[in-house]
Amino acid sequence: MRLVFYGGGDEDENISLNHALIKLVKSNNPVVTYIPACSYDADIEFSYFARHFKKFHISRMINFPADIPFTDILLREVLKSDIIYLGGGNTFYFLKTLKEAGLIPKLKKYALEGGILSGLSAGAIIMTPNVKTASFPSFDCDLNEEKVTNLSSMNLVDFEFFPHYKNSIRYEDELKKYSNKINRPLYACPDGCGIILDQDKISFIGKNYCFYKGKKILLKAA
Amino acid sequence: MKTSLHHNKIVPKKICHPYDQFEQLNGSHPLKNHVPEAYVEYKVRQKKSGKVYYFNFALAKQLGLLEEDHPEKMNAGLEKKILETFNIVIINEYDNIHNIKHPPGTIKENTYMATRYLQLQHPSKQGKTSGDGRSVWNGQVTHHGITWDISSCGTGATRLSPASAKQKKFFKTGDPSISYGCGCSEKDEGVSSSLFSEVMYLNGIRTERVLAIIEHNNGLAINVRAHPNLIRPSHFFAPLKQNNYEYLKKMYDYYVKRQKENGFWSDYPKDEIAGYDYFLAKMANVFATMVAQFEDEYIFCWLDWDGDNILMDGSIIDYGSVRQFGLFHHEYRYDDVERYSTSISEQKIKAKYLVQTFVQMTDFLKNKAKRPIKSFEHQGLLKEFDKIFEFQKDKNLLFKIGFNNSQVAYLLHKHRKMVRDFRSSFSYFERIKSIKGIKKVADGINWSAIFCMRDILREYPQIMQFRESFLTNEEFVEIIKSSYATRKDLLLNQYRKQMISLFQDKYMHMVKLVAINLKKNVKHILCELTMRSSVINKYDRITGDAVTIIVDKILSIKHGPDEIYKIMHDFLYFQNHDPSKIRKLERHKIKNTKEVKNLLEIVRSYREGI
Repeated sequence: MRLVFYGGGDEDENISLNHALIKLVKSNNPVVTYIPACSYDADIEFSYFARHFKKFHISRMINFPADIPFTDILLREVLKSDIIYLGGGNTFYFLKTLKEAGLIPKLKKYALEGGILSGLSAGAIIMTPNVKTASFPSFDCDLNEEKVTNLSSMNLVDFEFFPHYKNSIRYEDELKKYSNKINRPLYACPDGCGIILDQDKISFIGKNYCFYKGKKILLKAA
Repeated sequence: MKTSLHHNKIVPKKICHPYDQFEQLNGSHPLKNHVPEAYVEYKVRQKKSGKVYYFNFALAKQLGLLEEDHPEKMNAGLEKKILETFNIVIINEYDNIHNIKHPPGTIKENTYMATRYLQLQHPSKQGKTSGDGRSVWNGQVTHHGITWDISSCGTGATRLSPASAKQKKFFKTGDPSISYGCGCSEKDEGVSSSLFSEVMYLNGIRTERVLAIIEHNNGLAINVRAHPNLIRPSHFFAPLKQNNYEYLKKMYDYYVKRQKENGFWSDYPKDEIAGYDYFLAKMANVFATMVAQFEDEYIFCWLDWDGDNILMDGSIIDYGSVRQFGLFHHEYRYDDVERYSTSISEQKIKAKYLVQTFVQMTDFLKNKAKRPIKSFEHQGLLKEFDKIFEFQKDKNLLFKIGFNNSQVAYLLHKHRKMVRDFRSSFSYFERIKSIKGIKKVADGINWSAIFCMRDILREYPQIMQFRESFLTNEEFVEIIKSSYATRKDLLLNQYRKQMISLFQDKYMHMVKLVAINLKKNVKHILCELTMRSSVINKYDRITGDAVTIIVDKILSIKHGPDEIYKIMHDFLYFQNHDPSKIRKLERHKIKNTKEVKNLLEIVRSYREGI
């Protein structure tokens, strides 16, 4: 499996991660699909996204909002893409949308069969076993306006993911507390930082942290 | 004697208060001196009740009423100034006849004008009784070299209302026995105009804009509008119909002077006859371009021979019957009780007739004798109008596909036939109607279109990045079908199949031509089209139906002017269809709040409506 987790931030902050993402691609003329978390401003987000990835000589891109009706014609092309990039936004809304569109199993299958799946913030959380990390800390969490109760997600990895991490006491306390409740590592990535999973090899870009059983560990960058 | 259009404007000698600029809006206006026949004058009094419901901070800054760095927040001083300036009501003929007394301290020093213009709903059909029936002009302001006219709607019943003309009497402002003619305006009209006009403005469509809404009891309001020149064709057509050369000439001179002073017509010739020709060329260009844009953006704006619902530069004014359709509902007609409106496809005929009337008008100005309008039916300018219209239609479609300026210019210049062929297939699908026939809708009748051409323009370049072959007929129809289409509507006959093939063949041919011209590969061009088209043809598009529901929603929100402004501002961020503006949008400053999200959901639900 080849997965890339982005902690957040804009195109300029993520230049190193984007380089790493592109390096995973084997095709000479790759296709990148952008799935925004919400379609309302998807055109704007896609425009930024596409302009940025054109710098990497990507000339085939698809904008694929999942919360508006789509045809099988386009979906087939999406699932043939070299990279699928899940955008950032409200995690609960995104999860609900992907589930309602029947895309969770399809994207999972895509990743398991060798497609490169990447996600920024909400998009990254979606790739983990569940989206609980979107609901805390109270001072910086996604509102669950959709009232999503089943928080299980793609479950592609055996860790949880916390984006937009800020290295402060109040974040640290919340994450330590949460890590005590779970039996898997919780990776916390600030904006511009992230994780690359290339088959069995995991590497980190930027200053990332792991919270495990109430302990905080600074991870060594690649 | 040469006079400046601004000569009677009150310019504060010394700026000592941040809101002094409002004081220019005191009823003074150069039209009063230049064309005394063009208006009726009223004394006005300050209203006691009323509060600011909405204030367009961005527009106020554009007008120079507020400093650039003024916070987008209301304060007591600003609210007081807005109310002092705009919360007024005229002392009309009814008040005078009935000797109604008002406290002297409430009566403003200057008079305010209600302008005269032609309106077809008036019995005389000559503009002798018609014009601003419930509006007065507050005045004008100049900022960064542009002079803006400001007028307010809902400031009392004037003698120019249809009710006064028909019933031959004067009405008390707010008379509940009449609706259209009582001199009042409603808050929902103001909110609707404000929302709609800002969406139009954002997307490059010329329009009046709403500066403020002053709220009164029972849903009534004073709605303040602004535009660089609030003169309508009907302001000219009134003296024309009346054969009044002097009045018409003064009106013409006034208008040209303002256009020149605003820098819009800086190349206007010195020679009088050449000037008329310049004016006509401008009118043909303005109205042909405007009507092509209305058709292509599916904007329904009730145009008629009186030239009432439009400004001289093609800007939309009076949003009462204006709609934007999600599909090309070209059979929709607004029901105005006494008659049905024109349809969107008939707008061109009406716009062309307006130009023909301008030809008659300038002939009158040149020769001081009016000839019948029929004599100008075969005038060369009308052929020019058709040419401009066709050119603009081709151009608009290329932009809608997603080609950029230089690519559009290249295709229009070098491969016009190809563009026309593509347009014929595009228009074919755009105009197909449901087998269900004509249906009654909330405010008129409609015969629904069934295909959403925005969807194919958005999806096609994405899909063709990967496909070596065209879409199948079934795939094509799957993408363009709307919720109005029944199974029977979607049946594929031979002609429809041919048109699908023509659409795809010409589309890809144009892409290849652009790729060859730019020495780029086809996939690269398709990717560019994908990016631009996803903005231009985004899934959600505001329609007249959506505006109606959104206005109700906004009115139900119990917030002050700051919050209303913020909600409207944030909502507008999502209504941009211009890819060139993407970089300028403040992406991170916009909060998709629950209220804004609710409004966006409404836009989505009604995206195919009227």
